[in-house]
Amino acid sequence: MKGRLIHRNDIIHLIDHLRNNYKVVAPFEGRGRDSCFDEVTDSNRGTVALHLPNPYYPPKRYVFPQIQKLFRIWDGGRASVEEIRDESKVAVVGIRSCDIEGIFHLDRFYLGNTFKDDYYEALRSRLFLVNMVCTDTEKDIDDDCFCVCADAGPAARDHFDLQLMDLHDKSGEFLAVAGTSAGEDLFFQPFFRKAGPEHVTRRRDVLEQVRKRFKIATSWYSSATKFITQGQIKESTWKHVGDRCLECGGCSYVCPTCSCFTVTDRKTGPATWERVRMWDSCALSGFTRMAGGHNPRKAVHDRRNRRFFHKLEHMVIQKEFTMACVGCGRCARVCHGGVGMPAVVEMLRRETAAAKMTEKS
Amino acid sequence: MSCSNHNVYQPLIAVLDEIHDEIQDVRTFYWHFEDPQDQGGFKDFMPGQFAMISILGSGEMALSLPPSPTEERVFFTSRRVGKVTAAMHALKPGDRFGVRGPYGNGFPMKDYYGRNLIIVAGGIGLIPLRSVIIYALHHREKYKKIQVFYGSRTPKELMYTENLKEWRADTGFECHLSVDKADETWKDHVGVVGSLFKKPGVEMPVDNTTVFVCGPPIMFRFVLADLKNIGYEDKNIVSTLERYMKCGVGKCGHCCIGVAYVCTDGPVFTLEQIHRLGEVI
Repeated sequence: MKGRLIHRNDIIHLIDHLRNNYKVVAPFEGRGRDSCFDEVTDSNRGTVALHLPNPYYPPKRYVFPQIQKLFRIWDGGRASVEEIRDESKVAVVGIRSCDIEGIFHLDRFYLGNTFKDDYYEALRSRLFLVNMVCTDTEKDIDDDCFCVCADAGPAARDHFDLQLMDLHDKSGEFLAVAGTSAGEDLFFQPFFRKAGPEHVTRRRDVLEQVRKRFKIATSWYSSATKFITQGQIKESTWKHVGDRCLECGGCSYVCPTCSCFTVTDRKTGPATWERVRMWDSCALSGFTRMAGGHNPRKAVHDRRNRRFFHKLEHMVIQKEFTMACVGCGRCARVCHGGVGMPAVVEMLRRETAAAKMTEKS
Repeated sequence: MSCSNHNVYQPLIAVLDEIHDEIQDVRTFYWHFEDPQDQGGFKDFMPGQFAMISILGSGEMALSLPPSPTEERVFFTSRRVGKVTAAMHALKPGDRFGVRGPYGNGFPMKDYYGRNLIIVAGGIGLIPLRSVIIYALHHREKYKKIQVFYGSRTPKELMYTENLKEWRADTGFECHLSVDKADETWKDHVGVVGSLFKKPGVEMPVDNTTVFVCGPPIMFRFVLADLKNIGYEDKNIVSTLERYMKCGVGKCGHCCIGVAYVCTDGPVFTLEQIHRLGEVI
């Protein structure tokens, strides 16, 4: 991997350069700690934020939109089902390491396995990712972040086109690393300059400081995975989790790795419809309800059980190649019942370990 | 399983040829693809596989494939229970709808060569098993003893009556029928389908036997208990699972049970596998 330097004030030039070929989205500050990804335009380009809280609404939507049109359906005299292609070409500047890992997880899910998802592939093949390493311990990282436990951050090792990292010194330089040849091609642009060994040392020092910032430094994934895989979790523990779930589905919608969707036909004219797919959540009771009313997963705690089973069980991890959690902390931030991933992992570990102690004595 | 380069969610246009009323609210729909080239995938499938049916403007659903690949015509049988099946039942011959598939693993019929087959169906559970029976009879010499046990609530609720007549006349295998509640026309066995196992003259081989079971949850539970008493092992009992499905290709997540996706890892599972999935069936 080659390293280059880019000055903080030149990052907007990098964005402008990318705008020649891509629809560029970048993070912007909202009110309070609110933030969002939005398209960079001539009028807002001056307000792109480099350090800010990671937006709730995950950038997975640029490969897996919340609502995506699949087909145009006609049924009047003749019948046809015609594919709708989204030709947009997006570059995400400022995507965090956890979200990079999330997209990589979706890649393996949608493009691997028996069948390949064409809609995902079309958007993914044109996606350009400029990763921003979280280095600002005040703004970038908060108490709910735990990417260090999920082996996803604070600096992604791969799966980006270009990675930028603030060196936090007086010069205002960022260290840029290319992850793909497309990323490396950008180094020919005049705003990139050669980096020296001192910058690599500086990078290491910054990361070492950043790692100390994480409040949750050990989410007990391995013991939770072990207990789930061996079927040792008590039904009562799942009930405790279920009792706190408000069935809002928020955890799935903000999750960078959640991939479930539902499909519906929307009427657009007298004999025309659009088939769209949209994000769905296993927290909702209708998720498994069949025509006729039979629902194999009716109880809330059973549905919660399935979410964490799917994210942490050994066989599922083997099948989907990684644990489906990247430690972004979004579920912990949005959950009104306080049953985001770190809290549940802790509940599973503590209650199961306690139950085992009681059994022994 | 088809896995080509085309968009896996693309339904192909089919034309409805003929509708046949089976029982109350259950109809069989004979169809063909508008483009004959599309028909290929539906000539080479396995019993137990399923397809995704689009009723244009109403939505898409999963239906099992009742025909056997050894038959000429393709058709679906559905009960009117929800929005999409209701729209399907409103179709008339000549109407268009969308089909994609076939999907799923299907019954490994070739692995059962040289074995006894026992097929136990309750109510519309005969829909996926009809394919098994026709397939097995087509390859009759490959299998040893074949026994069919089929039960419904009343004589009026027996499915595929034409087939049942043929099967009853066939001396190459046994076909036992039962109804929970008889009417004046019914001269045969009365009782739940499991009671047929104890009918005088019925001898069920236990060794080297595969048992297929499909039916409503309550029938399923009782039949499994009966089979266990006779001595069948879980690994020799197979069934197909039903789940809410949106994609059929392992992406939408709705049919996930434990570590398995019913659409790509199933819908056919042995009872041993079903127990290992660890969820309520």
